[in-house]
Amino acid sequence: MACSTTYLWRGETTWFCCGPAWGPCGSAGGGACGGCRSDSNHAAWPNASAACWDVTRPDLCGENMPRRGCGFVLRVRHQCTNAVVCPAIRDCGPRTQSFCGELTCCNGVCRSNRILDLTPKAFSAIGSLSAGKLPVWIYN
Amino acid sequence: MNPPIDRRRFLASAAVSGATIVGASALGALDPAAAFADPTPSLDPAIDTAAFAEGRVTQIKGSALEVAGSSGDQYILQITNGTSIWKVHPTTIDAIEVGDGLYARGVDMPDGTIAPDAVWVNIVNLHCTISAIGRDRIQLDHNNNALVGNVLTGTTTASYLGGAQTPDLSGLKIGQAVQVLGAWRPADDSVDIVTLWAGH
Amino acid sequence: MLADLSPLPLGVLLGWTGLAKLTSRTLLRTASESALMRVLHDVGKVALALRALGAVEVGLAAALLANTGRPAPGVAAAALGVGFLGYLGYARVTAPDSSCGCSGGTETPITWRAFARAGLVVAGGLLAAVATGAWWSAVADRPLAAVGIGAAGLTVIAALSTDLDHLWLLPLRRAKLRLLGHPLGGIDATAWPVPVAATVELLERSLAWGAAAPVVRSALIEHWDHEGWRLLRYAGVCDARPVSVVFAVDVKATIDNSPVPAIRVTVVDELTQEVIPEPPLDWPKHRPLPLLN
Repeated sequence: MACSTTYLWRGETTWFCCGPAWGPCGSAGGGACGGCRSDSNHAAWPNASAACWDVTRPDLCGENMPRRGCGFVLRVRHQCTNAVVCPAIRDCGPRTQSFCGELTCCNGVCRSNRILDLTPKAFSAIGSLSAGKLPVWIYN
Repeated sequence: MNPPIDRRRFLASAAVSGATIVGASALGALDPAAAFADPTPSLDPAIDTAAFAEGRVTQIKGSALEVAGSSGDQYILQITNGTSIWKVHPTTIDAIEVGDGLYARGVDMPDGTIAPDAVWVNIVNLHCTISAIGRDRIQLDHNNNALVGNVLTGTTTASYLGGAQTPDLSGLKIGQAVQVLGAWRPADDSVDIVTLWAGH
Repeated sequence: MLADLSPLPLGVLLGWTGLAKLTSRTLLRTASESALMRVLHDVGKVALALRALGAVEVGLAAALLANTGRPAPGVAAAALGVGFLGYLGYARVTAPDSSCGCSGGTETPITWRAFARAGLVVAGGLLAAVATGAWWSAVADRPLAAVGIGAAGLTVIAALSTDLDHLWLLPLRRAKLRLLGHPLGGIDATAWPVPVAATVELLERSLAWGAAAPVVRSALIEHWDHEGWRLLRYAGVCDARPVSVVFAVDVKATIDNSPVPAIRVTVVDELTQEVIPEPPLDWPKHRPLPLLN
C-alpha cells in the first residue's frame, strides 16, 4: 500500500526541476518515467530501474535501497519537523555516487547520502527550497 | 506601525529575553526508533492543503503578482506582510521583475488567488560538474548545457560534504561534482551562485 | 591524398559514436533529456531512434573503412552530417536546454564544438566521396604523411568531442590551477563573519525549529545582527492570528561548531505587537526541557 507507514529508507533529499519549466532545468523532458512535473508531488528514486541504478550507483556509498518503479507513491517525513508529503516516483535520481559520505544532521542526529530527489512542489511541502537538502525518513 | 529600526529593536530585546530551547546534549540524544513507533506523525494541516504555483511573472500590480505557469496555468499571488520572498537572499516584492521565474507555496483564497507564505524567485538547484574556475565565475557543465555560475562576494558559499557553509571557495576542484543552489538570471541565462555543495 | 585518407578518421568517429549508442546502458536517461522528445514524445521511441541511429553509424563506418574508392559511403556520410547539423540547429532553437545525445553519453552539451564536429562529418564525407583509392593504399604509398594527417584528423575530432574533455582539457586546467594558484582562494574564512546562510542552515536543523514548526509558515523574511546575536524573523500563524516568529542565534554559531545550539524563540502577535508568553511550541515528547528566562 503506497504512502503508508512501513519503513523503506532514510537519508538526504534534495530537489530538482522536471517537465515544462522556466530557466535551466535538469529533466525538462519529463524525467525517465515521463510525466514528471515541477508543480506536482513527484520524486526521483535511485533504484527506479536497472538502467537507473547504473547512473546513480548508490551501492558505491553503501546504500542498497530496494527497487521502486515508476508511479510508486512514497511517504516522505522531514526528520526535524515531522512534515510529511507523499510523492509519486517519476524520474531516476539523484546521483548518489557523487556525494558519498555527505551528512545532514538535525539536532545531533545525522542522515548521510543523497537518496531521494523531490520536485519543487513536494520539497516545499516539507521545507524551504533555499535549504537545498533535508534529512528525511521514507516509507512505502 | 513602527518604523523598521524601532521595530527591530523591540523584536531584538523581546527575542533575547525570550524562551530558550536547550539542545539535547546534556540530556541524551533523541531516540530515532520512537519515530517508527508513532504511526501518525504530527502533520500541520495547513501544509496538507497548501497551494503551489510555478511559472514566470507577467505583471506586477501593487502587491499582486500575475504568473504564467509553464504548462499554461495562470496564477495571481497576493503578497502580504506574512510572505517571505527569496531572490538570492530574503528581499521584498520590489526586487521582483517581469520575466522572473518563481515557485510559491501558500494557501488558496476563495476568490481564486493564492496567498503565498513563501516565494522563491528564479531559484534553481542543479547537479553539475565544474569545468573551469575563474576569479568571479565558475564554468559548469549541467546535464544539458554549459552554464556560467557567477560568484558573488559576500554571498556565495560552499559546503564540503555537508560541512557548514563557508565563504572559502578554494576547496573547489576542476571536474568536481557539485550541487548548485542559485538564482537564474533571465537576461543572460547565467546563474548567481548562492551555495555550492561539493561532492567528489 | 587527403581524400583517400579521410575515410579513416571519419570511420573511426562514426564507429565510436555508433557503438556508444548501441552499447549505452544509460540510454533511457539520455533519451529523456534529448530534443527528440519534443518530436516523438515517448522515451522508449527516442531510445529506439538513438539505437537505430547508432546502427546506421556503425554500418556506415564499416562501409567507409572497407571502401576502395566508391563514392557512395562518402556521400551517405555527408548526408548524415547534414542531418546532424539540421538536428542540432533544431534542438538549439526549440529546446536550448536539451541534451545532444550525440555520443550516447549523458553529459554532452550542444555547444559550437558539436556543430563543428557535425560540420567535419559533412566535410569528411564529401572528401571520402571523391577518393580514388583505398585508405590503406594511401598509407602504404606515403606512410609518414598518412600517419601525420591521420593523427591530425583524430586530434581535431578529439578536441571537438566534449566527452573526451576529462582526458586532456580538465587535467590541463587543473595543472594551470596548481601553477598559478586557485582563482577563488586567498581569503581567510575565519576572519569573515559567519554567512547568514550558515546561520539559517543551523537554525533549520535545530530542536528550536522542530518545536516551532507548527507555528512557522514562511521562509526567512528578514535578518539582522544585534549584540552578538543574529535575529531571524519568520511569519507564522498562532491560534488563527498572524504572528512573527523571531529566532535569536549566536552570530558565530554554525553546524560545525555548534551541533546542538541553544536558540531563543519568541512569538509576537503581528496585530497587537505583543509577545505571546507561552506559545504552542511542539516540545518533543521524550524528555522535559529546561526553559531559561
